Amino acid sequence: MAHNAPIRKIIHIDMDAFFASIEQRDNPELKGKPVAVGGSRERGVVAAASYEARKFGVRSAMPSKIAQSRCPDLIFVKPRFEMYKEVSWQIRAIFHEYTDKVEPLSLDEAYLDVTENKKGMETATAIAKEIKEKIKEATRLTASAGVSYNKFLAKTASDMDKPDGLYVITPKKGPVFVETLAIEKFFGIGKKTAEKMHGMGIFNGMDLRKYDEVSLVQHFGKAGHYYFQICRGIDDREVKANRKRKSIGNERTFDIDVLGVENQLERLMQIADLLVADLKRIPVQARTLTLKLRYADFHTITRSKTLINQFFDENLIEEVARELFHQLPEDERGIRLLGLTLSNFIDEEEKVGGQLELGF
Amino acid sequence: MKFIVSSGTLLKELNNINGVVTTNPVVPILENFLFEIKDGTLTVTASDLQTSMIIEMEVEAKENGNIAVPAKILMDTLKNLPEQPVTFSIDEDTYSIEISSDNGRYKLAGENATDFPKIPEVSDGFSVNISTDALASAINNTIFSTSNDELRPAMTGVYVNLSDTNTTFVATDGHRLVRYRRVDVASEDSHAIIIPRKALNLLKITLPAENTNVSIDFNMANAFFRFNNIKMICRLIDERFPDYENVIPANNDNMMFINRDELLSSLRRISIYANKTTNQVRVKITGSELQISAEDLDFSNEANERLSCEHDGEDIEIGFNAKFLIEVLNNLDSEEIQVKLSEPNRAGLFLPKEKSDHEDILMLVMPVMLSNYTT
Repeated sequence: MAHNAPIRKIIHIDMDAFFASIEQRDNPELKGKPVAVGGSRERGVVAAASYEARKFGVRSAMPSKIAQSRCPDLIFVKPRFEMYKEVSWQIRAIFHEYTDKVEPLSLDEAYLDVTENKKGMETATAIAKEIKEKIKEATRLTASAGVSYNKFLAKTASDMDKPDGLYVITPKKGPVFVETLAIEKFFGIGKKTAEKMHGMGIFNGMDLRKYDEVSLVQHFGKAGHYYFQICRGIDDREVKANRKRKSIGNERTFDIDVLGVENQLERLMQIADLLVADLKRIPVQARTLTLKLRYADFHTITRSKTLINQFFDENLIEEVARELFHQLPEDERGIRLLGLTLSNFIDEEEKVGGQLELGF
Repeated sequence: MKFIVSSGTLLKELNNINGVVTTNPVVPILENFLFEIKDGTLTVTASDLQTSMIIEMEVEAKENGNIAVPAKILMDTLKNLPEQPVTFSIDEDTYSIEISSDNGRYKLAGENATDFPKIPEVSDGFSVNISTDALASAINNTIFSTSNDELRPAMTGVYVNLSDTNTTFVATDGHRLVRYRRVDVASEDSHAIIIPRKALNLLKITLPAENTNVSIDFNMANAFFRFNNIKMICRLIDERFPDYENVIPANNDNMMFINRDELLSSLRRISIYANKTTNQVRVKITGSELQISAEDLDFSNEANERLSCEHDGEDIEIGFNAKFLIEVLNNLDSEEIQVKLSEPNRAGLFLPKEKSDHEDILMLVMPVMLSNYTT
């Protein structure tokens, strides 16, 4: 984006404990109680935790076993993705009342560019407030909003005042805000990177700013460019409406490790079936199939194969999945997880949205 | 070795083959022209290993001999010399070349001719004759829809299928497809080859304006073209061409006739307002009215026009990449064209209304799915 472009107005909306809140809404008995959405069984993982559960240190992506030990009263609820999707559509419809520049990041969060908005409202803060109210009215759920002049700051802002928050970072405040922000709070800086930065004497945005772009790139690779910019409050990434799907995949963690090639293949074919079903729903022309396999000892490997043409039918997917599986040496370890993913979509390469291909 | 040649004639001949020379060839010697003189005939060869072109011309020479001459320096020199006889003197021990003209003398370092790769010959081949007009027309009608995708090599060339009644030329990049058929070119035996785009582009530039015969010899590996004093040999693409007949819809019953020029100019204007990455235009046919529109939400640009057409079928709304439509319309040589559609997600067919007796042209464009900005 050119630097003489007008200052943008970006809102980041993030639903509060989305899955768990929906469960609490629909089942009054769960209100005010620590709830985890996800499987409670041996191998389950927490998909989302209510605020009551978070107080005990229960986090999403945590193995259910550990969550249970941290919070013995934790109530596990089976996820209902169809319902979450429905609510997600409801809130997206609200966003589109204001702007079509909506970039969903997942079911429960999205960026909105309201620089120009359908209602001709002057301030993004007023829009964020209205959106929050409408979400509450339509879904009986709360959302947190961050308002700022770029995506990075809007996302950071929405996290400042959770739950049911509204936080604004004005262009004037932006650079100062980043100076004092702890680097762990920077979106895009994970645990590992943060540790590395601590080792370099970087604890907040101000410290990060002392490094020039070249040395940041030396230390962190391509991400260095991004870090250099965000610690100055700069982020030129645009809000992309209709973000394109890059892959479709299916994976399963098994309750009991699967032993023996025959059994393993059988499970793999079941996953291939699920993938074929997905492909029917979401017709993409993918060239690459990736097999993911996690052994009982958590050792994970992926193998992929790229075709000249797209994967067009189930037989081909099964055939290549089998081929990828047989490339692996026989292993006595049981298999804990199997997954198949299709990626490298043809139209993505052509960079032409929606252009249909001849079915050769 | 010494020979005398007109600077203008030599330049004109070398211009025919200079397109073969690449700037960064696999083997450095390919930056040179190979000059061979035998009994007063100069043969010049340019090659990139895939494609080679050869011209022959008469020169004044007493001896025979060979030398590789740096192509770029020679071309630049000839371009800047006024027309006159120039003398090439070659020292066959040091490969040094001296060009003398009325204006002065120019010395450049040549290379040993024996290092120049051998040009393959077509043996056990089949032959077919085609007029330069027919060949030029076949190339012009198809080459624009070839693919650049090296992952699908078969589609980077034009498929030529010879049969005893006609010859079919097909090009596709997966988004559009052209089938160009001529009944005045035929071969007793059936053959199918894929000729690479570069070779066809070179032919297109080189084919003379006056109609003459091109003889083509080919086997599985190479094709050999000959016309006037020019020869071209190219390696064929050894791949299976996609099954194109199956993707050409047979029952596109939604038919429309429209003036080609009007539609083309309209598309040129509308596409200015389309999104620059998708070039998406919306085509809506209601009764005998055709509405074309485009929008670019990022810049709040939008445009729409109405044209009248002759339409027989259900109302339809379909999206296309304007660039593809413009290319297709540019290449259809007919005042009125016929557009055949079926569904918004099925291929559209574009045909000339006026057909010549010996050619049959079909152009196909795949649509773009129209997004209505609902999630």
